Amino acid sequence: MNIKGAARGLWSWLDDRLGVQAVMDFLKHKPIPQNRHTPWMYTGSLILLFFGIQVLTGILLAFYYRPTLEEATKSVGEIMTKVPLGWIIRSVHSWSATFMIAIVFVHLLSIWVLKSYRKPRELTWMSGVLLLVFTLAFGFTGYLLPWDALSLAATKVGTDIPRSIPVVGEWATKFLRGGDDISADTLSRFFSFHVCVLPLCLLAVLAIHVYLIQKLGMSLPVGADERAEARRALPFWPNFVYREMIVWLVFFGALVTLAVFLPPTLGQTADLMAPAPAGIKPEWYFLFLFQMLKIFPAKLLFVNGDTVAVLLIFLGVALFFFLPIIDTKPEGRRGKIITLCAFLLVVYAVAMSVWSLQTPAKPEADRIIPSPQNIKEGTAIYVFLGWMWVSVVVLVYFLSMKVKEIDRLLEVGYFSSDKK
Amino acid sequence: MRLKQSLYTRRRFLNGLVGGWLGALGVSFLYPVLKFVFRPTPEPDQVLLPLADFGNLQAGEVKTFAWGSKPGLLKKSARGELVAFVGVCTHLDCNVTYLADQKKFFCACHDGWYDEDGVNIGGPPPKPLRRLVVAVEGENLIIKREGAA
Repeated sequence: MNIKGAARGLWSWLDDRLGVQAVMDFLKHKPIPQNRHTPWMYTGSLILLFFGIQVLTGILLAFYYRPTLEEATKSVGEIMTKVPLGWIIRSVHSWSATFMIAIVFVHLLSIWVLKSYRKPRELTWMSGVLLLVFTLAFGFTGYLLPWDALSLAATKVGTDIPRSIPVVGEWATKFLRGGDDISADTLSRFFSFHVCVLPLCLLAVLAIHVYLIQKLGMSLPVGADERAEARRALPFWPNFVYREMIVWLVFFGALVTLAVFLPPTLGQTADLMAPAPAGIKPEWYFLFLFQMLKIFPAKLLFVNGDTVAVLLIFLGVALFFFLPIIDTKPEGRRGKIITLCAFLLVVYAVAMSVWSLQTPAKPEADRIIPSPQNIKEGTAIYVFLGWMWVSVVVLVYFLSMKVKEIDRLLEVGYFSSDKK
Repeated sequence: MRLKQSLYTRRRFLNGLVGGWLGALGVSFLYPVLKFVFRPTPEPDQVLLPLADFGNLQAGEVKTFAWGSKPGLLKKSARGELVAFVGVCTHLDCNVTYLADQKKFFCACHDGWYDEDGVNIGGPPPKPLRRLVVAVEGENLIIKREGAA
């Protein structure tokens, strides 16, 4: 009982100074609508989970990574082969990036199709598009850091794309590269973007995004009966949080398992003079842009084909950013054309990606391929995975019991404000 | 004595089980992270120095070599035998230097003094300089940890 008393004392001490209770009270009353679109609401917090993992594993990797031409590949190689469990930290970082970007896409499509960006949530959508841009920039800058042949080629292309923008293109490319060509300074610059500039930008916009979501509340589907929804809604704390914990556990387990069995590899140090390796491809989330650049004709009606392609991409991003301003239909309208656009974009992106995968990649010789079999922690890793999955299953079972319990408590009015 | 009902509710039991298990899972992820953060950086078992470079020391002369990532000091004593020290002050890890004119090792950080055999004689150092074992094998000098096979 004394521990409980002490904890209560500490809480009230903190609350007197920080006002934490006000936040908790807010979260206890924040309604989460319960309807067939509720599953999409888990995507936002999942993105947060993976972003958190990126921050943690990124800090760990930066302990041993050295961003110089001579040392970059070597230090990543050392992380994968010499530092205890370094290969798995790198693997989790790489897989978590993939998970994060995939779920960002799902999050965005769900909001697009459900029209949740409509008044008053226009700024939430726009801050979300900025977050998407930062997330992809994270992926792009992080890809260079191992400094092998693939990352060099990807960065050469990626930093050359802005050059086709009229007027500012030349300047943009120079800014990204720190000169006319890729050099040691590009690596330093990308490292600085990846671990310093982008995290600060992303956190700032994320704060606005999350603040807006709290201020405006969760959106209801088009044409929903507001009163029926309000009756069905569950409070964020604790009813929704326990449900989120279940989702987090399952996704976390999947992440660690994939990271153990399919770790990323590492090629030879990039050679600034070597020809681009045959059959190279960017990460999956850039494939559709990559294929588009590949098939665009060199000349299109007297204009440079690249310029047209790049302008098209920029036009797409601008349309996307201003979607809430373009679609100003009243709340009740479903906006079928906008939904169709989302559907067409997905079909287009998938088709282009599949097309670009038709070119077989030539496996490069001498890649460092870590795997638990040739690493001495092999058996321990499998035991650990076993323990993790047993824990996940048991905890999911217990948490679903908790969910049942707190839902009952809510029903009988245990959480209502008159009871303390 | 039998209690009429349990003092421990089912809810508290379930909460404890969930919280405890989550905590245990969390702590078990701490282990790999700590292993990663505290990477072992063992000092070398031995260091080979070519006799051509290090064999022609004069009596009382000192030459430095790399003992892992610390400086090693190879010295020919007045009696003509080779001795080696880890050239790091036993007080707070600064690198020491040999002052040939005073025949003393000196640490500038906090005014630590050692005599020519590496024994602490003045200032804060609590212990003599660490000694390494020197052996000659063919073309090389082999420097080993004291007590190493």
